[in-house]
Amino acid sequence: MPSGLFLATQEPWILWSWLSTHGQLFVDATVQHIELTAIAVVVAFAISLPLGVAAHRWKVLRNPVFTVFGIFYTIPSIALFVLLIPFTGLTVLTAEIGLVGYAVLVIVRNVVVGLESVPADVIDAANGMGYRPYRRLLQVELPLALPAIFAGVRIATVTTIGLVTITAVIGLGGLGELILEGLVSGFRTPLVVASVLSVALALVADLTLAGTQRVAVPWSREA
Amino acid sequence: MNWRLRSARAALAIVLVMVAAACGSTSSGTGSKGTITIAGFKFSEGSVLMYLYGQALAHDGYTVNYKPNLGSREVVAPAIENGQIDLYIGYAATDLEFYNKGAGEATGDVNATVAKLNQHLQTQKLEALTPSNTIDTNAFAVTKATADRYSLKTLSDLAKVSKQLVMGGPPECKTRPFCVPGLKSVYGITFKDFKTLDADGTLTRAAFANGSIQVGLVFSSDADLNSLGLVVLQDDKHLESADNVVPVIRTAVASDEVKKVLNAISAKLTTPDLINLNAQVQLQHQDADAATKAWLDQNNYGQ
Repeated sequence: MPSGLFLATQEPWILWSWLSTHGQLFVDATVQHIELTAIAVVVAFAISLPLGVAAHRWKVLRNPVFTVFGIFYTIPSIALFVLLIPFTGLTVLTAEIGLVGYAVLVIVRNVVVGLESVPADVIDAANGMGYRPYRRLLQVELPLALPAIFAGVRIATVTTIGLVTITAVIGLGGLGELILEGLVSGFRTPLVVASVLSVALALVADLTLAGTQRVAVPWSREA
Repeated sequence: MNWRLRSARAALAIVLVMVAAACGSTSSGTGSKGTITIAGFKFSEGSVLMYLYGQALAHDGYTVNYKPNLGSREVVAPAIENGQIDLYIGYAATDLEFYNKGAGEATGDVNATVAKLNQHLQTQKLEALTPSNTIDTNAFAVTKATADRYSLKTLSDLAKVSKQLVMGGPPECKTRPFCVPGLKSVYGITFKDFKTLDADGTLTRAAFANGSIQVGLVFSSDADLNSLGLVVLQDDKHLESADNVVPVIRTAVASDEVKKVLNAISAKLTTPDLINLNAQVQLQHQDADAATKAWLDQNNYGQ
């Protein structure tokens, strides 16, 4: 190999002097990353919960729901974001349509699985105590399904944090934009630091959700 | 009601509050002369040109939104057609061949090329402004070792051995007339294989380094080709056309004043200037917006 080829590889993994003057970039990107993720997971949850309950109650809905979101899940994300530009532009909406769509499948499956795992004798007992279906759902079935639902939200959150980096193709990627910047200019520092932050974000989010689950759903520890 | 049901309700309540809080943030922006959104292509020079023209507009009193690293024309074109962006800094011949779907109308004559480009842009309510003398064409590079081994100086030399070599470039290179199809029709160059990488970026360099490609697409205004040990092959049959830097703008925002500002930058910018700016960003890791600001200051822009 000719000498002098690929100067870039002799560069340190992290150029601290550059990083010390560009910290704000990473703060802003992390905040945007969290915003995009939070909106996606919360909206996906708001869609998935009623959808999952409906799919549990009316079995005919199950296959169509799983099939539609299953097919959506297979659309390559880069293609999806680019295909949406003529309709929704370079907006948060474009990013969220993709992110929410991918997250719904994960959560809705867990809602259905959670509701299905409620033991038949518990339902019998609730019926015997005079619970009407709506109240039984709210006070017996959903609480017992919560551990599974929480698991779905955790998986969806971690997946979404990874997926947000791809929305950099439409100029909205949070940490993904810094990863792209590093790739484009052959500069390791933003690439490495943004990747590390993205992984850290996923870990912190997962631990936070796990902690929330322990506090809010104490019976899940027995499950 | 026992504690379990109560905490279950609490859990559901927490979730509902989270749902209610899901609304996004709103952004506001008022400029004295109006807002212009400018996009940059997804390569280093794309950011340089975006900030250069954008800062000139900002200096003139416009509020400028930047959309850096916004993919290739396949992303930028639909975005400007539906008004998501107002302006991008393109390259005359490449833009013409993009909008005419590779009809081969671009030539070495920049004014004719831009006139043709404007015919195609008109239907999209877009226009190309006066082109700069600054040129950045596609170029094809090999490592010095490859050049010595096959004694390559020109693309005609490459045609004799290209069947043994692997070419690397961005995905759109396979269909763009100034890339793989042009090499075939003008020089009769066909490669053993084509590897989809990036536009003169990290992947291309890495592929050169580990020997998985021998020929790669680079940009002629790239600052670090020499220092990377890459040799650009001479385009002896003039495949590449007038890829002069040219702003492409939505007609709706192309007021006389906006045009005046943009044309002034096009008139002042030179190819060595651009190579120099690219070097500051690519080699010294200066921020693109800081490098372009220094250029504007040096050229007494607006004073």
